[in-house]
Amino acid sequence: MERINFSLLRNKAEKEIKRATDLEELNVIFKKYLGKKGIITQILSSLKNLPKEKRSKIGRQANLLKSIIEKEKEKREIAIKKQIEQESEKDESIDVTLPAKRPETGHLHPLTLVRRKVEKIFESMGFCVVQGPHIETEWYNFDALNIPKDHPARDLWDTFWLDQKRNKEKLLLRTHTSPVQVRYMEKHNPPFRIIVPGRVFRHEASDASHDIQFYQVEGLMIDTDISVTNFKGIIDQFLRKFFNRKIKTRLRPGYFPFVEPGFEIDVQCFICQGKGCSTCSQTGWVELCPGGMVHPNVLKAGGLNPKNWQGFAFGMGLDRLAMMTYKIGDIRLFYNGDLRFLKQF
Amino acid sequence: MLISYNWLKDYIKGKIPPAKKLADLITMHSFEVEELRKIDNDWLFDIDVLPNRAHDCLSYLGIARECCAIANLVYTPPVFKIKEDKNIKISDFVCVEVKEKELCPRYTARVMVDVNVASSPSWIQQRLKRMGLEPINNVVDILNYVMLETGQPLHAFDLDKLDGKIPKKIIIRRAKKGERIITLDDKKFQLDRDILVISDSKSPVAVAGIKGGKKAQISKSTRRIVIEAANFQMKAIRRARQKLNLQTDASLRFEHEPDPNLTLFAINRACWLIQKYCKGKVAKGIIDFYPKKVVPKRIKLDLDQVEKILGVKVSLAQIKRFFKKLELKILDYNKNTLLVEVPTFRQDLSIPQDLVEEIGRLYGFDKLPLVIPRVLALPPERNDSVFWEGMAKDILKEMGFCEVYNYSFISDQDAKCFSFKEKELIEIENPISREYKYLRPSLIPNLLKNVKENLKYFSEMKIFELGKIYKKLPISEKRALTGVILTSGSGTQNFYYAKGIIDLLFAKLGISNVWYDEVQPTPEESKISFWRPQRCAEIKTDHTEVGFIGEISKKILEKLKISFSVVVFDLDFEKLQNLCCEEHEYQPISRFPAAVRDLAVLVPRQIKVVEVLNKINTAGGPLVRDVDLFDIYEGKEIPEGKKNLAFHIIYQAPDRTLRKEEIDELQNKIIKALEENPEWEVRK
Repeated sequence: MERINFSLLRNKAEKEIKRATDLEELNVIFKKYLGKKGIITQILSSLKNLPKEKRSKIGRQANLLKSIIEKEKEKREIAIKKQIEQESEKDESIDVTLPAKRPETGHLHPLTLVRRKVEKIFESMGFCVVQGPHIETEWYNFDALNIPKDHPARDLWDTFWLDQKRNKEKLLLRTHTSPVQVRYMEKHNPPFRIIVPGRVFRHEASDASHDIQFYQVEGLMIDTDISVTNFKGIIDQFLRKFFNRKIKTRLRPGYFPFVEPGFEIDVQCFICQGKGCSTCSQTGWVELCPGGMVHPNVLKAGGLNPKNWQGFAFGMGLDRLAMMTYKIGDIRLFYNGDLRFLKQF
Repeated sequence: MLISYNWLKDYIKGKIPPAKKLADLITMHSFEVEELRKIDNDWLFDIDVLPNRAHDCLSYLGIARECCAIANLVYTPPVFKIKEDKNIKISDFVCVEVKEKELCPRYTARVMVDVNVASSPSWIQQRLKRMGLEPINNVVDILNYVMLETGQPLHAFDLDKLDGKIPKKIIIRRAKKGERIITLDDKKFQLDRDILVISDSKSPVAVAGIKGGKKAQISKSTRRIVIEAANFQMKAIRRARQKLNLQTDASLRFEHEPDPNLTLFAINRACWLIQKYCKGKVAKGIIDFYPKKVVPKRIKLDLDQVEKILGVKVSLAQIKRFFKKLELKILDYNKNTLLVEVPTFRQDLSIPQDLVEEIGRLYGFDKLPLVIPRVLALPPERNDSVFWEGMAKDILKEMGFCEVYNYSFISDQDAKCFSFKEKELIEIENPISREYKYLRPSLIPNLLKNVKENLKYFSEMKIFELGKIYKKLPISEKRALTGVILTSGSGTQNFYYAKGIIDLLFAKLGISNVWYDEVQPTPEESKISFWRPQRCAEIKTDHTEVGFIGEISKKILEKLKISFSVVVFDLDFEKLQNLCCEEHEYQPISRFPAAVRDLAVLVPRQIKVVEVLNKINTAGGPLVRDVDLFDIYEGKEIPEGKKNLAFHIIYQAPDRTLRKEEIDELQNKIIKALEENPEWEVRK
């Protein structure tokens, strides 16, 4: 056997490995030395033919070279892989500023959202949510609420009448949620506190702030000694929670036949912050909610004794609250089904 | 009511607050001042007098009295004295007969002679103009002026133009059917028995309390006049005003029941001014028909009640001060109770609560503290309707639906388009327009209109509404939940998609056993006619129909100019809510592996998939955990009139791993069951 120059072999192998540019080439080089018929493999397999003393020396040197080549190959392999990865990552690059693709979700109507918010706040103060019919009798909508027939006060509510009667009584579309006050009193004993959110109807020309239908939230709280100051307390709490900040309000006299005393609650205009603008007709205030102490005649109509029970009632405009919340300028947007509007909520 | 700041000052003594401050006070204690305008060196208040105070506050004196009460000033109504001419007596000129005592509780009249009709003084003209009234002549202007000042409408007739002999007869009666009148502004009106008139011996000369007639009009040549200050029943004036569709400054005031005791003061005030500015003599005597005198009411006011209602204690001294300013007389004070006499010009005050309001508003509602009531800490009861509505809405929203709110009305065109029959529809007696003629009997028409409008901007949409629909026989209302689906897929795809929506909705509402039944058409029901036949189904649970699902008929879509297939589901929400269930139990997940076997079966085209599924499930029994239809094929390679259905059948036991032999046995049992039908062929 000829003499083997291990150091020459090692240099050669290391050079070749370092020069390899891809994994395939590296593999060929590796096989050249350590494959089945590789140079080193052959040296190792020919050891048995060598004399004992030479065998161990050459064997050691061959094994050393084997492990060096293996290590070098591994190093080079890692380097090549890293390079490949980096190159392919370069190709994968994306433009993060391209427009996003949003998942298609559903949307609830803004009035549903606002109504839920109102209900939640009042429920947290112990108010039950109650509902009533849209088709009402003249009795519940007017007479029971201390608004007698032929009384000019009826002109405050422009009414849609139906061409139908029930038990000879004229029917109409409720002009407010107040009939539910009496309906509830008939079936429940005080003390109680309720709110009545629901759709109401008015026979009037529609414009940006009026429509032939809209939503009210009636409130009613009856106990032995519920007072005007309590009314103010509850409304104040509600407004704070609803708008999540301190809201400037004022309470001034108002007239509604079903309350006495009666008031009107104004909130500072949310558009101009009280400076005066077209939304508040330059007054700085927006009417939010009429209310008052339930008139004894209404308690009587509901079967309650005004000597024992008293309390307040109010009727808030839900559309108005929604308009304030989202700064919506036209009430009719709520009812025309325009998805460009509805998908914003 | 428009009020001039400068004019108002005539009736107030003391330091009047500046206009802006006064406007704020009026708003916070009496009525909202809707607008404050500066005109020349004056301010004009536009005051929204509350309806229950229109009887005294549609007047300068009324507003002045309010201002004095709320700003602590001194109220100074005009003081004057008229000179009657002893040589002429009123009874020589007119006599009055009130035929309708109910409708005309008071009729006061005076006569003036040698009146010089000309233009009124410029200060009167200016004041009237500022209030939006056109000056006419001195007599008419003064009457209008006094009406604005006192709130009492007045009218004057030219005595010589009245028919009949002197003394001329003035009759207050109902108009006769067919009678006519030409009013001062040359308009002709047909009268009837519902309308009260002032008549001479021959024909009406005025529509009582509303407008004067041309016949006895005051003109330049007029020398002798009859002045009327009357009080008419509110309801009668209201009815006549509605019938004639004629609202005037006079009718507005009479509709709010002015104080009958006001006529005397007003007529004298007018005579005094006419005497001063139009010359003329006032005949001695006054005609005053006033059979039932209105006297002041008395109200007992318990001071504890005041505190109980307002929530604060207002001192007796303060209450006394308020009442004095409002001219409420305290007759007695005993055991913490006041006996209060209410002047007749405050007819709105009749119960203790009314007096509490007076105290409250003068004290200032705005000044009252905020107090949270002490109440039982009872949680509110849940409203199931609200709860399930919310749940259903949330589920649909999760599935990508957009909620809409539509009007509760449909147009007569919609009614025709959807072939709703008149007898099914509730008609509005006074619709605002034909657009809103009927109450909606279904949510579908308006939802389809939404689709039509939105197609301008969106090619796909899923919308729903949960709202009331209205039925005529018997008259009733109930909630419906209706959804509309329009996707880029075919009508059939939309249908199965909608069906999937229903399945999921029902599952999430805790309703099991939902199934779909072919429609048994009953032609008299118009609702059937808007579905596309053969592509709709009744949605049922057990044996109740809870709704309908299907494609909308081509005819209707054509009418609405929608050129895509639209699938709708329409649910009776009242029925649905009754079926809803909150209980929900989890199904244990088997730890043992599932095995899937495929099976294809060739069946006649008209066979419903559910029939095949039922066979598989029945034959397979409880170890068949699921059957999944993954392909339906018709066409080439398949015999005419047949379709190929391909299923994955998933076998799984809760308690063990199924052996191959067990599964084979079940699969064979299923195949055998399917092939019991000679027309069905399992493809191996």
